[in-house]
Amino acid sequence: MIDWFLTALPLPYPDAVVVVGTAVVGFVAGALGPLAVLRRRSMFGDAMSHGTLPGVAVAFIVTGTKAPEPLLLGAALSAALAAFAMIGLERVGRMRPDAAIGTVLSISLALGIVLLTYIAGSGNSEQSGLNAYLLGQAAGMVERDIAIALLLGAVALTVVTIGFRVLRSATFDPGFSAVAGVPTWAVDAASTALLALAVVLGVRTVGAILMVALLVAPVVAARQLTTRLSGLVPLSGAIGAACGAVGGVVSGRAELPAGPVIVLLATAAAVLSVLFAPRRGVLARIRRRSRPGVATR
Amino acid sequence: MTTADDLMIVLIAGLLSTACALLGSFLVLRRQALLPDAVSHAVLPGIVLVFLLTGERASLPTVLGATAFGVACVAGYEWLRRTRIVGSDAALALVFPALFSLGILGIGQFASGAHIDLDSAIYGDITFAPLRTMRLAGVVVPTSLVITGIATVLTVLLVALLWRPLHASTFDPEFAELGGLRGRAVGQVLLVAVAGLAVVAFDSVGAILVITFFVVPASTARLLANRVGTMLVAAVAVGWLSSLAGHRAAVAFDTSIAGTIGLTSGALFLLALLFAPRRGLLVRTLRRARS
Repeated sequence: MIDWFLTALPLPYPDAVVVVGTAVVGFVAGALGPLAVLRRRSMFGDAMSHGTLPGVAVAFIVTGTKAPEPLLLGAALSAALAAFAMIGLERVGRMRPDAAIGTVLSISLALGIVLLTYIAGSGNSEQSGLNAYLLGQAAGMVERDIAIALLLGAVALTVVTIGFRVLRSATFDPGFSAVAGVPTWAVDAASTALLALAVVLGVRTVGAILMVALLVAPVVAARQLTTRLSGLVPLSGAIGAACGAVGGVVSGRAELPAGPVIVLLATAAAVLSVLFAPRRGVLARIRRRSRPGVATR
Repeated sequence: MTTADDLMIVLIAGLLSTACALLGSFLVLRRQALLPDAVSHAVLPGIVLVFLLTGERASLPTVLGATAFGVACVAGYEWLRRTRIVGSDAALALVFPALFSLGILGIGQFASGAHIDLDSAIYGDITFAPLRTMRLAGVVVPTSLVITGIATVLTVLLVALLWRPLHASTFDPEFAELGGLRGRAVGQVLLVAVAGLAVVAFDSVGAILVITFFVVPASTARLLANRVGTMLVAAVAVGWLSSLAGHRAAVAFDTSIAGTIGLTSGALFLLALLFAPRRGLLVRTLRRARS
């Protein structure tokens, strides 16, 4: 079915694969982004995406191939490990979130670089291209990547849909959900696992360093246009998908790396939305304030 | 076996860690530990732009131009945060990837094959730092040593001169403002200094160590010390110890020097987390078991 869709697009086949792939990744990241942004944990996502690097390197050392599945599994495990390290430092180590995030981010980046340098020096001919996980590479996408992204994305969205009410109350009213009998750790674990999934899908395309933008920017853009979480999740996913698709086309035409192009598009969408959104935007607010006789907050 | 080059690398890393630990400690205390991460990414377009204009990579214009981008990053973040439309964490996560993307596109488009490339920007090329030299008063010295040396002296001077307002505005911002200590202005000076230092560090050791040197030694020291003065000393000591031991490890295992220095500071952090005299997990568990 993917095959049929790819050939139906008015693009050469390799370009079509990249565009569809980046669009799917953008959608999944955008739809799961609210889990980080609304809980004020955006930089948590940054540390998790840096946390994928050691996992990718270890998976490569163990398996010796660049097949995406084991590398993605390694990435997911180590991103989740980084997330739990941060939560542990905050809760058990009594560190403030910013210091905990900064420490985990630094250590995982350093570990990732040491392992990648070790692999580069080991003379394994397969290793060229592992750098893609640092800065991303959409050009190397194949149909199997799209299939993996679609499958994992479907799993994530199903979990979000089923657990929507729990996630919503845990996001907006943690006190209520704790009283209502939903254990906080379970919600934390679930949303951390979902974020790990989004991050892992994204690192290959936009890279560990830029991945956080794909989680955050579509949500910021969508947040100004809707006030309901049930609207935010699909809208933010759609904005992410649009940025991914357009970025894929533009980067293919202009021979630019896809990651930075997608990130710049998503950031532009976020800034435009912050400035011009009908009710919450900066301009709308200034206009409201300059009109006399209207109560302002 | 230790050569003069090895000594030079440890010296450069140690000097840089001194400056970063001093500023990083204040950032950790002020809950701004993630700013150096953002700033160190945001300076890349500045470095690329100055390189395109002048063809120089380690010069005064580079430092000034790149610092301007670092400051722009902080200003953009502050503006987004103050609109209250975007949370402070999301504001940060929005600004620095965009600037870093511009930098990557700039390198790819205009500067590829020239004396600037992504690998050295991210991984850092401290390994080759002793090889790039300049003449200073008739003596040949590594350029990085001179630049980091100047940056470290300036940082120490800054912290010494602004000690009282920095101290006051960190712990009691309102008092600092009312007491005529210009708390907000001091905070802004601190951020500009962080941006400038991030540029210097970026050029001599790469992006990884910038973040690590700002945050990890300071967080380690926070576990060990109860007073700001002691915390600064402890952070500097952790920085030097990681530079020395990390360099040894890199030579022994033949891997990235910047990476192993970062890992060593991470290991020291873990040790402090477990065994710190008062805040360590071990002591706290024992205390809880006894009561």
